[in-house]
Amino acid sequence: MAYQVLARKWRPKTFAQLVGQEHVIKALANAFASERLHHAYLLTGTRGVGKTTIARIMAKALNCETGITAEPCGVCSACTQIDAGRFVDLLEIDAASNTGIDNIREVLDNAQYSPTAGRFKVYIIDEVHMLSKSAFNAMLKTLEEPPSHVKFILATTDPQKVPITVLSRCLQFSLRQMTPQQVTGHLHKVLAAEEIVFEPLALNLLGHAANGSMRDALSLLDQAIAHGAGQVEEAGVRAMLGAVDQSYLFDLLDALAAHDGPRLLQTADAIASRGLSYEAALHELANVLHQVALTQAVPNALADDLPQRGQILAAAQALSAEDTQLYYQIALHGRRDLPLAPDEYAGFTMTLLRMLAFAPAKPEQISGNVSPAKPAQISEKASPAQTTASAAPSPAAPTNNVSTSTQSAPVQSGATALGKPEQATQTIPAREPIQAATPKTESAPTYDDLEPPPWHSEAAEAIYQASEPAPQSVAEPAASVIESTPSASPVRENKPAESFNGDWRGLVVQLKLGAAGMLAQNAELLGYSDIHFDLQVAEEHRAVATRDYQDKLRSALSEHFGRDITVNVNIGAIAGETPAIMLVRENAARQEVAVAAIQNDPFIQTLVCDMGGTIDAASIKPL
Amino acid sequence: MSNLPYPWLEKPWHDLIREGDRLPHALLFTGEAGIGKRALAQHLAQFLLCESPNKTNQPCGECDACRWFLAGNHPDFRLLQPADADEATEDADTSKKAKKKSSVIGVDDVRDLADFVNLSAHRGGTRVTIVVPAEAMNTAAANAFLKTLEEPPAGAVFILISDHWRRLLPTIRSRCRVFPLTIPEPKVAMAWLAGQAVVNPLLHLAHTGGAPLAAAEDAAAEWLPVRSAFLEKMAEPATLNVLQLAAELEKAKLDTVLILDWLQKWVYDVISLGMAGVIRYYPDWQDALERVSPRARLLLGFASQLNESQALAHHPLNQRLVLEGLLFGYLDALRGQDRRG
Repeated sequence: MAYQVLARKWRPKTFAQLVGQEHVIKALANAFASERLHHAYLLTGTRGVGKTTIARIMAKALNCETGITAEPCGVCSACTQIDAGRFVDLLEIDAASNTGIDNIREVLDNAQYSPTAGRFKVYIIDEVHMLSKSAFNAMLKTLEEPPSHVKFILATTDPQKVPITVLSRCLQFSLRQMTPQQVTGHLHKVLAAEEIVFEPLALNLLGHAANGSMRDALSLLDQAIAHGAGQVEEAGVRAMLGAVDQSYLFDLLDALAAHDGPRLLQTADAIASRGLSYEAALHELANVLHQVALTQAVPNALADDLPQRGQILAAAQALSAEDTQLYYQIALHGRRDLPLAPDEYAGFTMTLLRMLAFAPAKPEQISGNVSPAKPAQISEKASPAQTTASAAPSPAAPTNNVSTSTQSAPVQSGATALGKPEQATQTIPAREPIQAATPKTESAPTYDDLEPPPWHSEAAEAIYQASEPAPQSVAEPAASVIESTPSASPVRENKPAESFNGDWRGLVVQLKLGAAGMLAQNAELLGYSDIHFDLQVAEEHRAVATRDYQDKLRSALSEHFGRDITVNVNIGAIAGETPAIMLVRENAARQEVAVAAIQNDPFIQTLVCDMGGTIDAASIKPL
Repeated sequence: MSNLPYPWLEKPWHDLIREGDRLPHALLFTGEAGIGKRALAQHLAQFLLCESPNKTNQPCGECDACRWFLAGNHPDFRLLQPADADEATEDADTSKKAKKKSSVIGVDDVRDLADFVNLSAHRGGTRVTIVVPAEAMNTAAANAFLKTLEEPPAGAVFILISDHWRRLLPTIRSRCRVFPLTIPEPKVAMAWLAGQAVVNPLLHLAHTGGAPLAAAEDAAAEWLPVRSAFLEKMAEPATLNVLQLAAELEKAKLDTVLILDWLQKWVYDVISLGMAGVIRYYPDWQDALERVSPRARLLLGFASQLNESQALAHHPLNQRLVLEGLLFGYLDALRGQDRRG
């Protein structure tokens, strides 16, 4: 076939033609100029950076008829024969095909004979990482002290697989990846020499897509020339690489921020219909997310001339920092999972859906399995006005008595569940907080008729218990809310702070305390306010009231309520019940019930009376 | 004049032929499974080997070379594929050699290729090798292929075919010109399927995500009732008897990969329907999907578990245990428990 791919046609023939790798070439050129030659070289680097090329040029430099030189002439018979691949004293061995010890022995047996035509016998052993262990070991002696007319040049992409005994016998040069600029510059030269019309921007794209490898770049260039029917145009290259138009990515981010599943898939379909590469899309998405995260952390980090600057800034506003990190992670994982999906479209869209699913849900999307005490839950059924209302008391909370402010949300939820939303919806929007508080007064007396809302019976019970103060104190929070309304427009952006209703045991269950739970379990709540808890621990449990546990408890409480809370622990006699005591008491009660149930069971009584059985009371366990 | 077997290959074929003399020595066809990559590669091979003096853009189909090629015994053509791919051709021997069958292309196969490539051709000088699927080469084979692939003697052409080109060594990929094939237009694919006497082309096309050859296979497959039974059970997680279902599936003697594929598509559909309201693979199961889809979010973890299993699907694990594990995982996921913590 007459045509040779660009990567082969443009394989450099001299050191001067090589792009990049100056650090290696300089060392080699100086060595050749001063004839300080090592007998074994090892060239490493990723695919397509010039390992085999440098090896061949070295062979020329060693055997050129003008003498050992850093600039082989390229015209003498040795040089031309090496270029044509038929020089008798250059043995290029494909170690991946000849992996065995026998292959290597055969090669090395011939090493002792002096070269036929050239100055040196040069062995280029390519893909050397594939040699078997015994083959490597068979090489060691020859590699260490070869005859003076033998030079070894080993090349591999994977030096980790080469034994250290081999590594230590070689002079190792590791070749760097090409920068996109170097690649672009070289493509420029190639195209100019090939007399092919091109757009410079297209070469930039190729330079980046090549990922540091010149051969990849030239293969892509070949593909681009074919794709563009003899020309290299930016649009064509973009289409060929499946490079994704950035606007799609921002559409995706918009849809994510809006939690809009259907729109997300529509955008994915649009990407599909343009025939773009999903891997490239995920890659680009990760890229954009990285920039968004960067903007969030260091607002000035974004270059001023970036074309998508405005959109990135907007996305940085719309997404929280945690979301950005999460999406970035998911995008990376999605790329990894792409080959495992049923097809690439599925892999891509599944990644997007995953982002959607793991995004922290907005209040109306929290479903029933979240911990029951969250007031936000009610909003599943509530109109938007009530959503804000339920959140509103929290800013005002510090001024209120705790027990009252807690109730506003659950109570109101009872009202909405009962189908009284009209009270809230009638209200003038600006005065929502007031209205939100008022219906409570009306609905509070109706408690007993209400079935507790099904989604949080526990929390509801807690309210029932604490409901006595409610009627008289209702006016108070309402008033305070009114006072604070002008300034109370929710300043605090975090979730509405939870407030406490006196149910110490219920609270302890919700906290994540670990070992400090012992302290909480054995403590009795003496008194509390918004920012302070007084606890009493019995003398015999003094051991759990350590400073560490107190600190842990304090931070857990602060985290739970979203404000700083102090805890004071006293040692002394317990007047009431601690959660631990309650638990013991309840267990005892259940045991009694169980024992009674067994003893009253007619069948068991028959057994005892008629068959002479006895009941082992200790073996009875409550269910 | 022999023509392309599938209508949707016309455009890629013209893109290929347009290059004329610039055709590289190593091509890598990529794209989803079941869209005719192999047919295109065969056609290209025939075209390259065709000896008719006035061939323009199609192989003549009449010269000696074309006749040999069509009969499958052209001396300058090699097809490199895993040993188990041609089991259908040699029925008598398979029982004895059953153990030897493997799904990889070994290093010996690639080394044998060296003689074929490096010796001069029998006919015009062109030697064509098709490697299908390229990702079936194991590491040693792929590495042994590198030198041959990079600088073959004049006239040698390699066509690599890969459904999952990301599994290829980067060093292999970098030596080839990638030629991506896309999923054909649904209209064209449906017309073709209808021409193949497929009863419900739209449905089968959906089952395979748009790949027409796979859809044709889907329509004619013997395992269709097995899949229906399987999906029916998946749709009723409350009454799913995992052990029984796994036993039934094992009895059907299907590939683990295939069953995993069904399950993956099912889970994808549940999630997609639940979160975005779109069904991709199983439009005929809409009612069932709608019943499960409210719990779509819970299945996301299970979807990753499936991906992991798919990566291991070629390992010789006990199929029944794998299936039982996955089905229990499915139930747990729907209950909102993550067994793996």
